[in-house]
Amino acid sequence: MWAVYTIQDSSTLGRARRAAAEGGLRKRVGGTVLLLGTCSLLTDISSEMVSAILPLYLVATLGFSPLQYGIVDGLYQGASALVRLAAGFLGDRLQRHKFVATFGYGLSAICKLGLALIGGAWAGLSAIILLDRTGKGIRTAPRDAMISLSAPKKDLGLAFGIHRAMDTAGAMAGPLIAFALLSAAPDAFHTLFLISFFIAILGFGVIALLVREPPARERVPAEKPDLKAAAKLLKGREFRALTIAGSALGLATVSDGFVYLTLKDQVDFNNALFPLLATGTAVLYMLLAAPLGRIADRIGRARVLIAGYVVLLAAYCVLMVPSAGALSLIVVLALLGTYYAATDGVLMAMGSAHVPEALRGSGLALLGTATSVARLLASVLFGVCWTWLGLQTTIVVFAGALVVAMGLAVRGLRVANA
Amino acid sequence: MRSRALAFGALAVACVIAAVVAAVVAISGARNDEQASEKAVAQARPQAAEILSSGKPFAVFRSVDKGHTETFGRLSIAELQDGKPGAIVPAGPSCARVAFGAGKGICLDLLGTQMDVRLLDAQLKPVTNFTLAGIPSRARLSPDGRWGGVTAFVVGHAYAAPGQFSTVATIIDMKSGKPIGDLERDFTVTKDGKVFDARDRNYWGLTFAGDGDTFYATLASGPRTWLIKGSVAKRRAETIHDNVECPSLSPDGTRIGYKKAVSRNPTKWRFTVLDLATGKETPLAETRSIDDQVAWLDNDHLLYSDGDSTWVVNADGSGRPQVWLRSTDSPTVQENAAATP
Repeated sequence: MWAVYTIQDSSTLGRARRAAAEGGLRKRVGGTVLLLGTCSLLTDISSEMVSAILPLYLVATLGFSPLQYGIVDGLYQGASALVRLAAGFLGDRLQRHKFVATFGYGLSAICKLGLALIGGAWAGLSAIILLDRTGKGIRTAPRDAMISLSAPKKDLGLAFGIHRAMDTAGAMAGPLIAFALLSAAPDAFHTLFLISFFIAILGFGVIALLVREPPARERVPAEKPDLKAAAKLLKGREFRALTIAGSALGLATVSDGFVYLTLKDQVDFNNALFPLLATGTAVLYMLLAAPLGRIADRIGRARVLIAGYVVLLAAYCVLMVPSAGALSLIVVLALLGTYYAATDGVLMAMGSAHVPEALRGSGLALLGTATSVARLLASVLFGVCWTWLGLQTTIVVFAGALVVAMGLAVRGLRVANA
Repeated sequence: MRSRALAFGALAVACVIAAVVAAVVAISGARNDEQASEKAVAQARPQAAEILSSGKPFAVFRSVDKGHTETFGRLSIAELQDGKPGAIVPAGPSCARVAFGAGKGICLDLLGTQMDVRLLDAQLKPVTNFTLAGIPSRARLSPDGRWGGVTAFVVGHAYAAPGQFSTVATIIDMKSGKPIGDLERDFTVTKDGKVFDARDRNYWGLTFAGDGDTFYATLASGPRTWLIKGSVAKRRAETIHDNVECPSLSPDGTRIGYKKAVSRNPTKWRFTVLDLATGKETPLAETRSIDDQVAWLDNDHLLYSDGDSTWVVNADGSGRPQVWLRSTDSPTVQENAAATP
């Protein structure tokens, strides 16, 4: 992630870079954020090692049919939303975010060992994969709460940006390690799971042994937060406005998978390029997450968030005009990566500002789940529209929806920032 | 805090050492296996040559004996005596999926997220190769050795939308050694007289007739599947039956052996034989749900693998499935090598 600081000196980026370097990253966002970033980096190496080769393992080695794979993959992706809410609340209730997050990291680590030990039984594999995803659902909200509770309020955008950059770096390294191992030892899936387990344990070690529970900065309420208090979060004007804005924007967001399929339809590249598309997006996300987070802290997070969606709108527009071949491909991937860098961490930073510390886990879980459920819905809608209206019309519809959502969001964010 | 940092240091050292050791063991093991494997094939060469040139029927398959890692995944052959296989003889390269017919062979191997398609001659020596996107899933040859059919399973990435996958069924011209096209992109498929162009259509499991042109395959859209029949020359096909996966045409060309999804569960199958003339479906005696493309041993028996062993079952639904050859998968049968052109 240190590559962040090789970004060229466009004036604002340059300033952001110098400011970060002067203050010393650690001093600025706190050691906890860097440690959590390290933990996420290691955990993502471990989990992406597995998910990159999972189709290979299930189909080529165990002889799963495509439909069976589809079901496992659905489990893999969909299991975490509800768990995330519960875990966020539990962290608040126990006032021990670290404990809950550590449990989540540990659970996922154990699952890697399970994969290494279990054979090809479909039921067992599905169960382990489900547990692994549950672990991810458990750790997300408490971890974000810890980031937001340990970094200075004015530097939250940078803190989340740094964390997301490290996380993405791990996600990119994982598949590389996996394919390197498999090219040297073609059938060594169990070894791969074992190595993934050791890396996961290392990540678990970082949070369990090195990270400390962030000390309370606000006065702790006498009563422990209960579900009623958590539900009341949505009654707060600012937080509700932000959640609605985030969800509205999410509803107009085309999932990456569909963007890539649209690109394929337009540019007609070789199927073998497919895995590289996500890497292309991730590179820019990784490089820009911290600088854009920093800029968001400086000039206003709402501005950067909206700018991120303007970038997404630009990506839709490129998809609407006649294809310029490889150029369209590169431009869309760059825009998509920039959009992620400008929105994902920034939204969490904004959410943190409107949730009392005692309910930070629940609040961030609520915001995160609302936006990801909205995105999931959008993905379903996109599929339906594609079948009914055709691809080009669907993109136009989503672009129109995004303009409307942005209008709504600008109003909502004004409320949130008032 | 200091003791915790120390504990972490110890943990880090232990994990890194363990990971490196695991990698080294696996990689050196793979190297040794590769050498041992080459040696085993070389040693068995005279035996293999005898079977290949005997003019008698033989079976081609993959050896998957976990007790013999050196020949695991190797293309192997066995002589057939009245439909019963003789001793397993390692005879070719390592593959993820193999097929053989009319003196020509296909070996699909993994290459990262791509697959290496190797075309083999009558001596099972690679003559040419090319790469296709995806993971090896199915391979078949036409009875006349004119066409090859391979199915790959293409996945995007963990970032792609949940539950999404696609299969690509490619037809290979075995004369020129090059792919001529895939069903989704290069063929027009009609269903009830209308061109079928649903967004989520997938094709898999090619099988060929002996006329040098006709092929069958599975078309899938959502949870539904159909059997399609088509012409390679015309680049067209149409649906002819419901709920058919991984079809395999009988040697006499009258029946299709396939996986039929049962109780509306797309991942629970019953091997079934379809009579093409009457449309009659006959469930076979194998009651386990197994995912494989069956292969015809002769006009009355079908072969398939459950991942551990190759089994044989009667084509008329009678009897009970029997183990045919232990520790093998991906079987195909060369009926009579004398008929080889």
